[in-house]
Amino acid sequence: MISISFDDKQKIGLQYALDTLHGCSPFGAEKIRRLRFYGPQEREELETELYNVEQAARFASELKTEYDKIGMVLCQMKDIRNSLRRCAEGVCPDHVELFEIKGYLQRLENLIPLYEKVDEKTNFRDLTFFDPKPALSVLDPENTRSRGFYIPDNSTPRLKELRTEKKRLEESLFHAEEKDKDAIRMERTKICAEEDSEEMKVRAAMGKAIAPLVPDLLENADMAGRLDFLLQKALFAVRYGGVRPELTDGELALTDMINPEICDLLEEKNRKFVPVSITLNRGATVITGANMGGKSVALKTVALNVLLFQAGFLVCAKGAKMPLFESVKMLFEDMQSIQSGLSGFGSEIVEFQKALDEVEQGYSLFLLDEFARGTNPDEGAVIVQAVTRYLNGVNAISILSTHYDKVAENADAHYQIIGLRDIDPEAIRRELQGSGDNGIEIIARHMNYGLYRVEGRSDCPRDALNICRMLSLKPEILKNIEAAY
Amino acid sequence: MIEQLKQNLEQVRTMSIVGMCKNAGKTTVLNWLLSEAQRGRRLALTSIGRDGESTDVVTGTEKPSIYVPAGTLIATAADMLRLCDITKEIVYTTGIPTPLGEVVVLKARSAGYVQLAGPSMTTQLAHLSGTFFDLGAEQVLIDGALGRKSLGARVVAEGIILCTGASYHMSMEKVVEDTANIYRIMNLPKAETLPPEVEESLEDCLRQNGEAYIPGALYDSMVLPLLQNGTLRNGRLVVQDPSRVLLTPDTLGKLETRNVKLEVRDAARTLCVTVNPISAYGWKFDKDEFQTKMQQAVDVPVINVKEELA
Repeated sequence: MISISFDDKQKIGLQYALDTLHGCSPFGAEKIRRLRFYGPQEREELETELYNVEQAARFASELKTEYDKIGMVLCQMKDIRNSLRRCAEGVCPDHVELFEIKGYLQRLENLIPLYEKVDEKTNFRDLTFFDPKPALSVLDPENTRSRGFYIPDNSTPRLKELRTEKKRLEESLFHAEEKDKDAIRMERTKICAEEDSEEMKVRAAMGKAIAPLVPDLLENADMAGRLDFLLQKALFAVRYGGVRPELTDGELALTDMINPEICDLLEEKNRKFVPVSITLNRGATVITGANMGGKSVALKTVALNVLLFQAGFLVCAKGAKMPLFESVKMLFEDMQSIQSGLSGFGSEIVEFQKALDEVEQGYSLFLLDEFARGTNPDEGAVIVQAVTRYLNGVNAISILSTHYDKVAENADAHYQIIGLRDIDPEAIRRELQGSGDNGIEIIARHMNYGLYRVEGRSDCPRDALNICRMLSLKPEILKNIEAAY
Repeated sequence: MIEQLKQNLEQVRTMSIVGMCKNAGKTTVLNWLLSEAQRGRRLALTSIGRDGESTDVVTGTEKPSIYVPAGTLIATAADMLRLCDITKEIVYTTGIPTPLGEVVVLKARSAGYVQLAGPSMTTQLAHLSGTFFDLGAEQVLIDGALGRKSLGARVVAEGIILCTGASYHMSMEKVVEDTANIYRIMNLPKAETLPPEVEESLEDCLRQNGEAYIPGALYDSMVLPLLQNGTLRNGRLVVQDPSRVLLTPDTLGKLETRNVKLEVRDAARTLCVTVNPISAYGWKFDKDEFQTKMQQAVDVPVINVKEELA
């Protein structure tokens, strides 16, 4: 079972993605709030959901008017599930409950033709609504189609008599002399009480008539929620680009994937997110690179897209082959428990143990960002090398980002941030000298956050030295560095 | 008198009935508006918070219930529905929560007694009025708050009926004086233009502009020193609405003597003052004397609820 803390949702940008969705109905909003992930046993359900989302996304512009109308109807729905359940349990519903149930049924009645019109194009699978008419005819026996809820005079012969009598008394009260009024009022009170108990019988009968329909009506609420959520997922895919992954039995391959939160953030600064491509297999993969954020972003983007996929979203990438994981675990560098008293390193080990226990329960995705950074580099390197070797044998895709030496050669695969690899330091140095701009900004702009796979021998990245050159470090020092490399 | 009042009633779409005290006769006025004065209009009815018990919680006296004609729209909390003996049609649920359940709008399919427990926030009331009009109401009646709290009524109602009575105080003079004071504040004229807003001190603002808009409340302690040192003379003070005026009658009188205009940005109109000469606590006033004195203190019709409306 995948369960992700709110904190992790925020760190990898999943919460941001969810916040861009606007569930219209209480049922849809609930599905977004209580996001559930499909497990490996729910492969078929997930494939159906992904198909539906893809279809909805494909027709998003053609059917925009219909989607908007559906959204409007969904917006008007109220959460009547508790009232329905009470009916099923035999509790007599009150006036307001019956009003709300009637309103819900009327909205369903409006929703279904809109849904059918959409479905003609999209051919959704496994999404059907039960006809609300049988229930509606219980609550609107005279078929007035009015919005209000009212127990009609004709509901029972006795009710009709009582209401007629009530009306007669009201009129006579109006014309009566003061001395007779009290007697009429008392009679009226009696009639009102009897009307109330007669109405209660009618309400109870309505509840009873609805009770056998409750499972269907609850199912309809769930369908409305699913439709709501899947349209939101489709619009999300339209906004950020989405692809339906091909399901695999182990391999995870993502081509040109993005992270919507970071994309939007960069866009505000007029910069562009560099799409990340990576192919991962069972065992440990190490990502190395200069310490300028690229590694963490790559890890977060993998985690985000895996989780989106397992929640039934299309994946923010150009191409994707993905397996279903039993669990997804991540340890990021800004760990909260550091404040809880344990030393940074100690708490890291505790967290790692806990996560590893879960990871070893079934096929998992395990992400470790700058593991063991809390200790001295010599020891840290040894620890991470050992962890990497161990993870090679664990039934999981493990990804470690690190800048410790000689970790990569212990892993099954090694990726590196492209960084400044293809940049001529001399050209940048000249550019920097020519302009008074902030050097760091310019370097960041030239930084390529993409990944490339390192085959065989793995050199330590030379980006630190290059940065020194670009920023025109004092030549005497630079000479010493170069000599030591 | 009644005729003039009926004419005044025609001119507002929303009306709040406010009382100086318990047992002032608010419910009698409401019932009169609902039956006699309704002239076939489609009325809508609600209250600020909970009111309308058949026994007054504070004084223990029997008090009249609100009786609505068929066709009236009523907004009240869901838990109150079982205490309403009208034949009910639920027409709208507002989503406004109260301790007694969500505020629900229902239509009276028959005449009958209702128990009101409406929204307690003025913004919610303003919104509810809009809903009433959307549902076809022609006039909205609000069973309003007591005393000073009712001064903010402008936010929700154009017209106000001010109810006072012997229950307020044993001294008739005190009842008339305090009612007249509330009346005066409630009926402060609407400011045609807004003067510059006070930034640092009221005194500076007045010296520079001769007039000032006071964004918060207006207290004696702000005004008296300026009256003493002569800054406040022939000027103009504007506040947001009558509830912001916390001046004693004495200070109000002094401002008038100095020819200082006191105005409000959001003005309401008092349509009439009603008096109840009988107190719930045992004493009563001479009805004619009470009515005459009250009439001398205000310039709208004064009506005796016990005789003219009952």
